[in-house]
Amino acid sequence: MLKKRLIPKFLLRDGRLVKYVRFFENERAAGNPVTTAKVYNDYGVDELIVLDIVPSAASRGRVVDIIERMSEEIFMPFTVGGGVKTLDDVNMLLRAGADKVSVNSEAVRRPEFLREAARTFGDQCMTVSIDYKKISPNHASVFIDGGREHVALDPIEWAQRCEELHCGEVLLGSIDRDGTMSGYDLEMIHKAASVLSVPLIVSGGCGSLQHAIDALEAGASAVAISSMFLFTDHSPIKLRSHLFSRGLDVRASSSSRN
Amino acid sequence: MSGVAIVDYGINNVRSVKNAVEYCGFDPVVTHDADAIADASHVILPGVGAFGDAMSNIRARGIDEMLERHVREKGKPFLAVCLGMQLLANTSEEHADDGVAHRGLGWFDADVLRLIPNDPALKIPHMGWNIVAKERNHPILANIRESNLAFYFVHSFAMRCRDAGDVVGFVQYGQPVTAIIARDNIAATQFHPEKSQDTGIELMGNFLRWNP
Repeated sequence: MLKKRLIPKFLLRDGRLVKYVRFFENERAAGNPVTTAKVYNDYGVDELIVLDIVPSAASRGRVVDIIERMSEEIFMPFTVGGGVKTLDDVNMLLRAGADKVSVNSEAVRRPEFLREAARTFGDQCMTVSIDYKKISPNHASVFIDGGREHVALDPIEWAQRCEELHCGEVLLGSIDRDGTMSGYDLEMIHKAASVLSVPLIVSGGCGSLQHAIDALEAGASAVAISSMFLFTDHSPIKLRSHLFSRGLDVRASSSSRN
Repeated sequence: MSGVAIVDYGINNVRSVKNAVEYCGFDPVVTHDADAIADASHVILPGVGAFGDAMSNIRARGIDEMLERHVREKGKPFLAVCLGMQLLANTSEEHADDGVAHRGLGWFDADVLRLIPNDPALKIPHMGWNIVAKERNHPILANIRESNLAFYFVHSFAMRCRDAGDVVGFVQYGQPVTAIIARDNIAATQFHPEKSQDTGIELMGNFLRWNP
C-alpha cells in the first residue's frame, strides 16, 4: 500500500536556509540548502519542500540555481514555491527540476490561475499551500503573503475550493504552531483529511516523534518537518524507524531494506 | 550507436530523467530528431502531463513513426515512464471529450482508466511511495531485492492490460494497479525511477545496460 511520507521543509531567504517561530520571530540560519538536501537524501526522506519566503526577481534566480543543483545529484520529488504568480513561473521551476509547484497567495487573489496552471501542467504538478491562524478561540482564517495579510477565508472551505480548481495536493500549515515544536493542530488535520480527496501534507508544530505519529493518525498523508530536523537530534532516520516500529505505514529505512 | 535518446515531445520537465541518465554514467540527448533517435543505443519516453496533448505532440512531430521504426521494428531497448507508459495503450479516458477516449500508440493491448478508489481514505492522485509486487522477473529489476521495491508514484489514471503476460509488477492501492509492463525490447513503469532514490537509479542503470 501507499506509504505515509516524511518531508523536510526548507525555507529560503536570499538562497539561504532559515527558520523562524510563528513566521516572523527568532530568525535562525540553518545552513546551505543543497548540502542539507544531500544529507537528507542519504537519510532516505520521501520528498523535499523548498519555499522562498521573501520572493523577488533576484531570489527566483537563486532558487532556480539551487533546484538545478539539487536535481543533479538527488533523485527524489521536489515541491518548490514562493511568489509563484504566472504560468511562466511554474514552467521555470518545473524546468529547473521541480516536480510540483506550490502556489499560495496568487491562488487566493486569482483562483482561475490555479485552474489554468493545473490544465497546462497537470493537476499532480500543482500543490496549494494554505497558511492559517486562529483569529478567535473557535475560528481560524487564511493568511497570505507569508502570513502578513489576513483574508476572510475558512482554511477548510478554501482547501475544498482548491480541490475543485484541480490542485493535486494541499499543504496546510498552522502559523500559530510554526517553529514552536508544540505539536500539530490535530483538530484541523482531522477535519481537512476527512473532507479532502487529494493528499494532505501538514505543517507547523512537529517537535517530537509522537507529534508526527499523531498527525499521521489524524489522517495526514504526509508530515512536513522543519525545526525538529534542523535543531534537535530527531533525524529523519530516527523518526522513520520509530514510526515503522510503532506500526505506521512508512517506507522501511534503507538500512533495513538492504 | 551511442548515447541515450530522451524523446522530446514538448513536455517541460525532463531534467530529472536526463540527470539520472548522466548519474548512471551514460550520455543523454533530449531530442525529437529522427537521426538522433536512429543513432541512440537506448530510447526513453518520459511523461508528465495530459494524455491527449502528449499524443497530439507525438503525432505532429512524427515521433510515433520514428518509434515504430527504431523500437518496434529494429528492437532498440526502450523504457517509457509514467504517462509515457500509458501512451503505449490503445486508449485513455483522461479528459476524454464527449466520452470518446483518446487513442494511444497501441503497442500493448491495454486501456488507461481513471483510478476510482473503493475507500474514501484513499486519496487521488495516487501520490507517494508504494511497494511493487513482482509477477515475474525482468532484467530492469536485476539485483534489486524483493524487499526493496519501493518506488515513487504520482498519477490519477492507470493502465489495465488484457494480456496478463505483459505485466511484470503491480502495486496495491485499494485494487491492484499496473506498475511495470514489458514485452521483448520494451519496458515501461508507471512510477518515476528518476525520482525513486537509489532503487530508481539502480533500475535506470539496469535498463541502460540492457541488451535484449
